[in-house]
Amino acid sequence: MSKDQNSNGCSTPSSHGCGTPSTPVNPQTDVLVPKELHACMGLNACKGHDRFGTNDCAGMGYCATQKHVCHTLNNCRGQGGCGLYGDAAEQCKPGENECAFQGSCATPIQAERISTMGANTGKSVWLLARDLFETRMENAKRNVGPSPMENGPPEQWLKSLDGGYDSCGNSGDKYCTFGFNNPAETANEMIERSRESLKETVEKCACTKDDK
Amino acid sequence: MLSTFLASKPNEVTPSNIGEALQQAIEIEIATIPVYLSTYYSINRTPDQSAIEAKLKAALLAKNTGTAQAYTEQQAEEKAKDLSAQIMVFANKAGASILSVVIEEMLHMSLSSNVKQALVGKPELVNKGPNVWPAYLAGHEPQFPINRAKLSQDQLYTFLQIESPAKLEGQYKNANALPYTTIGDFYDMIQGCIEKHFSDASCYDTSRPQLVPKMGYYAQNDIDTLYYDKAHNPKFENAEDSGDLVHVVDQQSALAALQEIVEQGEGHEGGHKFKVVDGVDCVDCSPFTEGSFDDKDRSELAHFDKFNELWCEMQKMEEEYKTLFGDSVDPKSFYVFDFEDNVMTADYPDIIQKVSTLTNAVYSYLYVMTQACYYAEKNTQYEIFMFGIHKSMMWILGSLCGILPSMKYIDSKGFERSAAPTFENYAFNTASSPKAQIIALFNEAAAVYPGVAYLKDRIHDLPNVPLEPYLAKPAQPILA
Repeated sequence: MSKDQNSNGCSTPSSHGCGTPSTPVNPQTDVLVPKELHACMGLNACKGHDRFGTNDCAGMGYCATQKHVCHTLNNCRGQGGCGLYGDAAEQCKPGENECAFQGSCATPIQAERISTMGANTGKSVWLLARDLFETRMENAKRNVGPSPMENGPPEQWLKSLDGGYDSCGNSGDKYCTFGFNNPAETANEMIERSRESLKETVEKCACTKDDK
Repeated sequence: MLSTFLASKPNEVTPSNIGEALQQAIEIEIATIPVYLSTYYSINRTPDQSAIEAKLKAALLAKNTGTAQAYTEQQAEEKAKDLSAQIMVFANKAGASILSVVIEEMLHMSLSSNVKQALVGKPELVNKGPNVWPAYLAGHEPQFPINRAKLSQDQLYTFLQIESPAKLEGQYKNANALPYTTIGDFYDMIQGCIEKHFSDASCYDTSRPQLVPKMGYYAQNDIDTLYYDKAHNPKFENAEDSGDLVHVVDQQSALAALQEIVEQGEGHEGGHKFKVVDGVDCVDCSPFTEGSFDDKDRSELAHFDKFNELWCEMQKMEEEYKTLFGDSVDPKSFYVFDFEDNVMTADYPDIIQKVSTLTNAVYSYLYVMTQACYYAEKNTQYEIFMFGIHKSMMWILGSLCGILPSMKYIDSKGFERSAAPTFENYAFNTASSPKAQIIALFNEAAAVYPGVAYLKDRIHDLPNVPLEPYLAKPAQPILA
């Protein structure tokens, strides 16, 4: 795989259908004080609410405005990344946890992350989070622009941006190969499978009762 | 001194001793946890594949002697890649499999506690782990030693003895506890007593708090109970329908709680068992049958069968390496830390002792918090469990157990070893809260070993749970 490709098998991030984003050359110095704390790319509620304050519209934010390492380590409502840890009900609502420490997993949510419980098991967490976000915005009568990357931020891209992205867990890198698969193809297959069944997943998730 | 219960040499569960029998069940479950956890943390689930590959390639090429060329450069490379992938998959699978059992053992501890809470009250969980190692499961006949030890076929064999659905070969010693031949038999005795004597709903006190289902306390799967196959596809060790907590409110729910423990541990009738050859229990590596699974969809193996599978895969790998390399390459050296069996904190040099003591205190606090849940109302219970037990297990205990193997020491025989988590009971005193004592131990450990300093916020965020409910100060906040 060439160096400028991301893990979904697409080429550079700008090829994901939203023109050329204003990716900062030096993210360390360009990060602003956030106006809203949200869990990932494409999940911001307003213009100028992404990590760099440059997005034009809801849902077009380039990056998470908060970052925490994993399950139970988030500080606020809506910051849970989800997938990886938590029960079926929690994993059905990525980015929509009710309270501090209830976040099911780390943010930002990399494109390769899968859920480990519930209707979304083995499928993309970010696609589900984005769908739930769009529904939330629709209910609030808000227009939502396309996400800078249609599948969420790939792990390799996050690593290149922050220089050390590490999602949680002891079972190893989600974007990986033992020499017998192409990790980009593996990720793409998972994402496409997730997209095909997303409607059904959302319907099943809606039926996952949270008795807490 | 033996309790009245044990001194009476009981041999059946009766309405008068069912409380003690259920406490014995709780302590059997607790005794298995350090055994499984010590083995789990001996596994490097994600070793450096390129380093393994390079070593294996060199070992294969070293077989080329004189004019006899066993492997070309390319053949050696391909074989090394294949063997290294096998290690990557097995190490991760062994970790996922053992951890999936640990989670269910903790679930079993809580299921037994729920039954005890409903029938007689006061499940006791604090400081109930074995103090002496090797340890023995209370009442098991025949007795066999259980060890805190690294992953090996011997250790997996011990796991199989613990979870065996069939009676073990060997002589009975007339144990000083309610005797049984398999854990399933033990729960059968309790179930028999409940069926006979506890059919009336008034026997069950539902006002006492229990750990109830659908709260996510023991989620069946997470990222740590999956592993990746050779093509890096995720494989889940547990099935979602394999069982949750059961709120014990009547005879039916009490029996369901106990039946779940047996099915998760031993599987259904017709599953794998030891094969007895000349009076010895031997591992049977024949294919799995319908009875090997513990869930409706037949996608989760029972504990016995999971360990059976690991043992057989390990055996196959050992044989393959023996054929290829003789005694010169031990596959375990690539993914198992060289822990000393049953090591104690006192065996370590001072700096490791500080980290090990902190680890033991955090481990023991898990039981303090779980026991506190049996005295707490629903929301407090949820806060203790999610922000205390989950956080401690994953982000404090897990981190400390990951740090310890990187700390080296010389054992009594002069060999360099990796420090192992010892999972000893830490006796909190009543002069201050357990959390205050953990913070003090953390400060001591961080002062001599800065590698643990990053855990400060996580430790300070722990819920403040008293050692005993009566020690709580008025209106003491849990999340303080």
